[in-house]
Amino acid sequence: MDVSHLSIREINSLFTKKEIKPSELYSKVFENAANSEAALHAHLTLFEEENIKKAAEADKRFSNSESASLLDGIPIAIKDNINIKNYKTTCSSKMLSNYTSPYDATVIEKLKQQNTLFTGKTNLDEFAMGSSTENSAFGLTKNPWNTDYVPGGSSGGSAASVGARSSIAALGSDTGGSIRQPASFCGLVGFKPTYGTVSRFGLVAFASSLDQIGPITKTVDDSRIIFSSISGEDSRDATSVINNQLDIPSDNTATIGVIKELMEDGISGEAKNEVNKVIEILKSKGYKVKEISIPIIKLSISIYYLIAPAECSANLARFDGVRYGLRVDGNTSYEMMENTRAEGFGAEVKRRILLGTYALSAGYYDEYYGKALQARKEMIDEFAKTFKDVDYLISPTTPTQAFKSGEKTSNPLEMYMSDLCTIPANLAGLPAISIPTGLSKDELPLGVQIMSKPLSDNSLLDFSEIIENEVQFDGQPKGWL
Amino acid sequence: MSNEFNIKNIAKLASINLSEEEQDSLSNDLSIILEHVNALSDLKLNSQQQEIFIHPLEKELELQDDEVVESLTHDEAISNAPESKDGKFVVPPSME
Repeated sequence: MDVSHLSIREINSLFTKKEIKPSELYSKVFENAANSEAALHAHLTLFEEENIKKAAEADKRFSNSESASLLDGIPIAIKDNINIKNYKTTCSSKMLSNYTSPYDATVIEKLKQQNTLFTGKTNLDEFAMGSSTENSAFGLTKNPWNTDYVPGGSSGGSAASVGARSSIAALGSDTGGSIRQPASFCGLVGFKPTYGTVSRFGLVAFASSLDQIGPITKTVDDSRIIFSSISGEDSRDATSVINNQLDIPSDNTATIGVIKELMEDGISGEAKNEVNKVIEILKSKGYKVKEISIPIIKLSISIYYLIAPAECSANLARFDGVRYGLRVDGNTSYEMMENTRAEGFGAEVKRRILLGTYALSAGYYDEYYGKALQARKEMIDEFAKTFKDVDYLISPTTPTQAFKSGEKTSNPLEMYMSDLCTIPANLAGLPAISIPTGLSKDELPLGVQIMSKPLSDNSLLDFSEIIENEVQFDGQPKGWL
Repeated sequence: MSNEFNIKNIAKLASINLSEEEQDSLSNDLSIILEHVNALSDLKLNSQQQEIFIHPLEKELELQDDEVVESLTHDEAISNAPESKDGKFVVPPSME
């Protein structure tokens, strides 16, 4: 039995029964990393040596029956835009290639309290801006199912790592789909919780009103375990909320809405087929399924690509060569700043900073950023109205299967369109999950996305687990294990 | 919506020194993206009120109490500075 294929609960049970030790699992995931990293480049840094002692401490806790945490001794990979004290946080940017974090993100503090082990820091699109992990200053990550294809992004390293079993689970961040899209491309579960339920303290900010940390895992239950461990109000994140969960039905008394606008042009036949397959299963189980229309969803990309760059241009103003990160000399402070930002940021980051700067500049604010804010509010209201009629919304997670490396790099807009189905949940702050359901004719994974009303994360996970159990997707990438 | 923009001016506002080549390629990219986002101008909104909100769940943002809490030490805060002296950040002159 290969323990790295098991779920967190199954592994914990083996630890508790003393059938396997945490240090043995830790060795196994690093063996998997040794077999896969050269081809996939999921991790930017691996923490093997420094955690051997911690794995031995976990062995002792289980040996003495002193462990109280499901995550004790579980090796988790961390996206490299989340701070772990005394380790580098590069955001896959030249700007931060030498930055060492002097503090832990709140999610890291919480995982450390559970005695979680960390495998290392994973690759991402620079500052989480991208959908393919091709925008990293430190090289591409490849899809573990087929290395000609991208793993998705921006949390592509986290997804590739779980796919290749060089970690048992991973943390990612999701601003417009950056957890769900790579999870879908790599045949995994990706969960973006309700905005505010997981503290963003220690996550390097991209677009603060949209960013959310969440898990990429093999099973829905693994996502549930991690979500319950990392969520909670945090005074260090002014936007965090008290995680008062709403209970909505997950059994067949629930009503499911199929979003018409995400089953039309621009969505591949294969992606639609996966949704239809799940709908048929749900109908056969007695769920009520109906088509619903939210026309403003068609404007998601336009709204997002004004709001996210506007917030990014403000957030990334901090990288000025003064307090941390790269500095490129200049005769004056201002010249130094301009040269530093020219050298430190890659093309996509510059594109978004410039777009945001323009959208916020005098004379254009009302027609761009202001209009996008109004449209976002309208979308939030439309979702609220929809959730009076249905409990869950279903759609494809991505318009297509994973695309080939280099296929979309010359056309930014085409790359942006790959987030069409995932962006609405970020704009409205909704919990959303991607569940793997099948393979395309190219033998690449496909998934469906389920969304629900804010603060119904636990019910969403329960409902998703029902789908997971019915679909029985058991595909695994070959060649790394 | 108008798509006329001066890339040099935007780069100046964003404090990024762009090469001529970058100015051309980014101008082109921004034109394509702005043309797409112009779809918003056709949107008939129910509300004309332009609400500035930060929180998608519209949580009221509250001020924190003015209390001393644990934070980074001075040394930690300055530990990543490209250049520092006597516990202070060192920068080139602000005026020539």
